[in-house]
Amino acid sequence: MLASHAVGAQSSPRPVTITVWAMSAEGNLIRRMADRFEAENPGIKVFTQAIPWEAAHEKLVTSVVADMAPDITQMGTTWMPEFQKMGVLAPVDPETARDPVFSPSRFFPGALTSTMFSGLRYGIPWYVDTRVIYYRRDLVAEAGYPKFPSSWEQFHRLCVELVRRNSRPGRPTFAFTLPNNDWQVLLMFLWQNGGEMFPHGASGDAFAPGGLEGALSYLKSFFDEKLSPKDSDRDNNSVNLLSLFETGYLPIFISGPWMISEIQKNMPQMAGKWATATLPASQASISFIGGSNLVLFKQSRHKVEAWKFIRFMSLPENQLRWYEISKDLPAVKAAWKTPALASDPLLLPFKIQLENAKSPPPIAEWEEVAEVLSRVMEQVLYGRIPVGEARQAFTTQIRRVLDKPSASQSGLFRLLVTIGLVVASMIPLFLYFGGGVKSKVSEKFPTVPVWFLLPAMCVLIVFLFLPVLATFIASLTNLNLSGLNNFRLVSYIGFENYLRLFKDPVFRMSLRNTLLFACLGVPLNVGLSLFMALVLRRKFLRWKPFFRIAYFIPVITTMVAVAMIWRWLYNPVYGLLNIVLAKLSLAPQAWLTNPHLALPSLILMALWKGFGYNTIIFFAALQAIPNALYESIEIDGATSWQQFRYVTLPMLRRAMFFVIIMTSIGYLQFFAEPYIMTAGGPLYSTMSVVLWMYLQGFKFYNIGYASAMAYVLFLIIFLLTFVQRKIHARIERTIG
Amino acid sequence: MSYIRRVSATQKIAFYVFLITSVTITLFPFIWMLSTSVKSPNEIFTRAPTIIPRHWTWQHYWNLFAALEMARHMLNSIIYAFGTTVISVLFNAMAAYAFAKLRFPGREKLFTLLLMTMMVPGQVTMMPVFLILKYMRLLNTFTGLILPGTAAVFAIFMLRQFMLEIPEEILEAARMDGCSEAVIFFRIMLPLCRPIIATLIIFTFIGSWNEFLWPLIIMLREDRYTLPVALANLNGQFNTDWGLLMAGAVIVVLPAIAVFLLAQKHYIQGIAAGAVKE
Repeated sequence: MLASHAVGAQSSPRPVTITVWAMSAEGNLIRRMADRFEAENPGIKVFTQAIPWEAAHEKLVTSVVADMAPDITQMGTTWMPEFQKMGVLAPVDPETARDPVFSPSRFFPGALTSTMFSGLRYGIPWYVDTRVIYYRRDLVAEAGYPKFPSSWEQFHRLCVELVRRNSRPGRPTFAFTLPNNDWQVLLMFLWQNGGEMFPHGASGDAFAPGGLEGALSYLKSFFDEKLSPKDSDRDNNSVNLLSLFETGYLPIFISGPWMISEIQKNMPQMAGKWATATLPASQASISFIGGSNLVLFKQSRHKVEAWKFIRFMSLPENQLRWYEISKDLPAVKAAWKTPALASDPLLLPFKIQLENAKSPPPIAEWEEVAEVLSRVMEQVLYGRIPVGEARQAFTTQIRRVLDKPSASQSGLFRLLVTIGLVVASMIPLFLYFGGGVKSKVSEKFPTVPVWFLLPAMCVLIVFLFLPVLATFIASLTNLNLSGLNNFRLVSYIGFENYLRLFKDPVFRMSLRNTLLFACLGVPLNVGLSLFMALVLRRKFLRWKPFFRIAYFIPVITTMVAVAMIWRWLYNPVYGLLNIVLAKLSLAPQAWLTNPHLALPSLILMALWKGFGYNTIIFFAALQAIPNALYESIEIDGATSWQQFRYVTLPMLRRAMFFVIIMTSIGYLQFFAEPYIMTAGGPLYSTMSVVLWMYLQGFKFYNIGYASAMAYVLFLIIFLLTFVQRKIHARIERTIG
Repeated sequence: MSYIRRVSATQKIAFYVFLITSVTITLFPFIWMLSTSVKSPNEIFTRAPTIIPRHWTWQHYWNLFAALEMARHMLNSIIYAFGTTVISVLFNAMAAYAFAKLRFPGREKLFTLLLMTMMVPGQVTMMPVFLILKYMRLLNTFTGLILPGTAAVFAIFMLRQFMLEIPEEILEAARMDGCSEAVIFFRIMLPLCRPIIATLIIFTFIGSWNEFLWPLIIMLREDRYTLPVALANLNGQFNTDWGLLMAGAVIVVLPAIAVFLLAQKHYIQGIAAGAVKE
C-alpha cells in the first residue's frame, strides 16, 4: 500500500494548478477552454472563476491589495494603465515574446497598443470589440442610399433625409442615436477628424491642435438639428433601444459586436432589414477598440504554466473556438480567415474597422480623465460651453486630475505624524469623557455593564471606530491606488484635500443637490407616510395587514428590478408617464435627461421606494394614542382638522422627531438612486455627495480625497442634526 | 382625522379607491418583475408590453437553475444572513441593556458618541475594514464576512429606546429575588423585547440578504459567493438577459418577503415602541 502510493506519486507528479479569472458570462464559458487545455497539458490544472462585471474593478483592486490575486486575469483594455502603474502586472519576458504565437504582427494594431508601456508588453490581447454603425437597411435604401454613406457629409445628409421622410406631424422621429456623454464617442469622432489625445504624453497638451472643435461641432449639429434625441438612453444596450430600432423611430445607432446576437436573439422578425457598416470618415474612418487582454500577475508562482495557458488561448484555432463559444471577436487576425468569420456580411464591417481602430492613451488616471471627457462633452452638446471654449475647459479639468499633490517624505516622518494624529484624535475623546469618569473611577467601576458591553464594543471599536479614525488620517494624505498597494508611496499633504474640495465645482454641485434632495425629499416622505398611516388607521378599513405589506414591498424589492421599471416609466418615448401626459394633451417630458427634471424625478422614485418604512412607524405610533383623547375633544365639537392639530400632532411629536432625524440622515447620504439611474448626470444635476465620494474612492481610487469628502458630509449632517435637536427641545419646552 | 365619527358609504368607497390605487402603484414594479420572469425574450422586447404574459414560460427559471449551483449559493446566503442576524441581535441587545438599564460612569456620553458614528457614510469605511480583516487573516472566511456586521449602532439605538419603556419595577423585583443580571437579561428582558427584536431581525436579515459588494470583495472562491453575487455573474458587460435577471430577482426577494411576513405582526408593534418614546 505504502509502496504503491510512493510509486504512483513518482510516475505522475502533483499537477500544478493555475487560477484564471474572467468576467461574468465569460468567466463561466472559459471553463470549456480550460477543459480542453487540461486535456492537452496533463500536468496543469486550471481553476477558473467568474467575477461579476459590475464590480470587477473593485474585486481586482482588493484582491491585489490582499495578496490574493489569481495567476491570470481577464483585464479590460482601458484598465491596463492603472494596474501597470500599480506595478502588479508581469511583463512578457523576452523569451516568451520571441514565440511566433505572440508575434506583434499577428494581432490587430489597436489591441496591441493597449498592452504596450514604455516599450514592454504587459499581457496579450484575448478578444477585441469595436464600434460600428447598425442601421435599418430598408429605411436607408428608401432614403436613397443603397450603400451606407462613408463620409461625414453624406452621413449627415442621410440623417436629414431620414427624419424628413419618417416624421409625421406631431410625432417627430430621429435618425441617429448618440449618447451625449460618452467619451468613446468623442474619441472616435476626434480621431476621424484627425485629432489626437496627449500627443506628447500625460504631462503635455491634452489634445493635439485641430480636430477637436470640428468633431464637437459635427456631433453638436445632430442634436441642434434634432436628428438625434438629446434624451437617448444612458445605457445604450437596453430593451428600449432595440424596440425603437424596430419601429424605425431610431434607424441608426453605434454599438459593438454584442448587438448582433442581441438583435438576432430578441428580434428574429427583423432579419434582412438591418445591416452593419463602418463608421463614416472625415479624414479617416477610425473607431474605438475595446475588448480584453489576458494578463499575468507578478505574484504568480506558476508563470511558466500560466504562459502556456495564455499561449493556448492565442492560437488561431482556439481564438476561433472561443468565438464559437462566446461570440467574442478574435484578437488574432489569422482567425478571421475562416469562413465563419470571413463570409458573414454582418461581421465584415467589424473586420475592416478593427484594422482602423485605436485605444485610448495609456494614462494611469484614465478612468478619471474619461469622466472629464464625458462630462465636458455633455456640457458642450447641451450648449453650456461654446465649442470654441471646449478645448480650454477640457484642458483645465484634465490638468486638475493629473496634477495631484504629492510630497516625498521619509518613513520615520510619516510614522511620527501618524502616531501624532492618533494621539491627537484621542485628546478630544479624553476631554469629552474626562470629568465624569475620573471622579468615579476611584470608586469601584461596575463590572457587570462591562461584560454586557464587551462583545458589541469590541466589534464597534475594530470595525467602526478604527476605520473612522483611519478615514480621518487618510483624508490628510494623497492615498490612491498605488499607495493602497504600497504604503511607502503615501505622503501627508495637510489639509490640501479639503482645500481642493472647496475648489471642486462638482463637489459644490453635489452639495447643492444633496441639500435640495433632502429639503424636498424629507418633508414629502414624512408628509406622505403620515398621511398613509392616518388613512390606514380608519376603523372601518379591512385587510389592514395586506395594505401594510403592500406599502412595504418597495422597501424590500431589489434595486435592480426597481430601476428597470422606473427607467421604463420615465422613458421619453413610450414610458407610462409620458403616455399619461399625452392622454391629457400635455407635452412629453425628458424625465431623466432634462437637467431641471432629473433630480425631481429621482426624488419621486426615492419617495416611492421609502415611504412604506415611515408609514409603519407612524401607524404604530398612532396606535399608541388613547381613544379617550379623541372622544373628549369630539364632545367639544372639534372638527377633524382640530382633532389632528390638537391631539394627533402633539401626541406624535416623539415619533415625528425620530422619523425626521433618521430620514434626514438617510436622505443626506443619497446614493442608490442616482448611482443606478443617472450616474449623477445630466450635467451633474443628480450628482450627490456620497455618489461623488464613491466615484472618487472606488472608481478613481483617490481615497484621500474621498475621505475628506466623507468628513465634510459628516460635519454637515452633525450640524443639521444638532439644529433639529435644538428645535425639538424647544417644542418640548413650549408644549410642556 | 375623525376616529369615531360615522363614515358614509361614499366616503368608504372613496377610501378604498384611493387605497387600491396607491397599492397598485407600490406593487406595480413587483408584479412587473414577476411577469417579466415568465415572459419569452421576444415578448419582453415589445413596444407595448403587457402585465399578463401572452405566452407563459418557465425557461428563465430553468436556465437559472442550470447555470448556477443554486443550493450552494442559497446556503452561503443563509449562513451569512442568519449568522449576521442571530449574532448581531444578541450583541446589540446586550449592549442596549447596559445603556438602558445598567448604571456606569460615562454612559450617556458613550451613547452619544455611538450615535454620531451613524452620520459617517458607510461606503468610506469599507476599505479600512477590508484591510483590517486582511491583517486578521479573515479574508475569504465566513467569520470575516459576518463579524463586522455583528454590532450596529442603529440596532443598539432601537433596542435601547424599547428597553427604556420597560418598567424598572419588573427588574427590581427580579433583583430582589436574587437573580443575576445575566438571568434577568435572558429570562426577562429578551422575551419582553420580542417585538423590537422581530423588527431588527427583518432589517438585518434583509440587509445582509440583499448585500452585494461586501460578500463579493471578502469571498475569493466562487463556491462561497452569496446569491446576489452569483446572480450578478449572469450579466454580460454589454448585454442583459432581462428574463433571467428578473427570475433571479424573484428568487432573491421571496425569502425576504417570507421573513417579513413571518415577523410582521411583532415587527409593527416593535417599531412603534422604539420610535414613540424617546
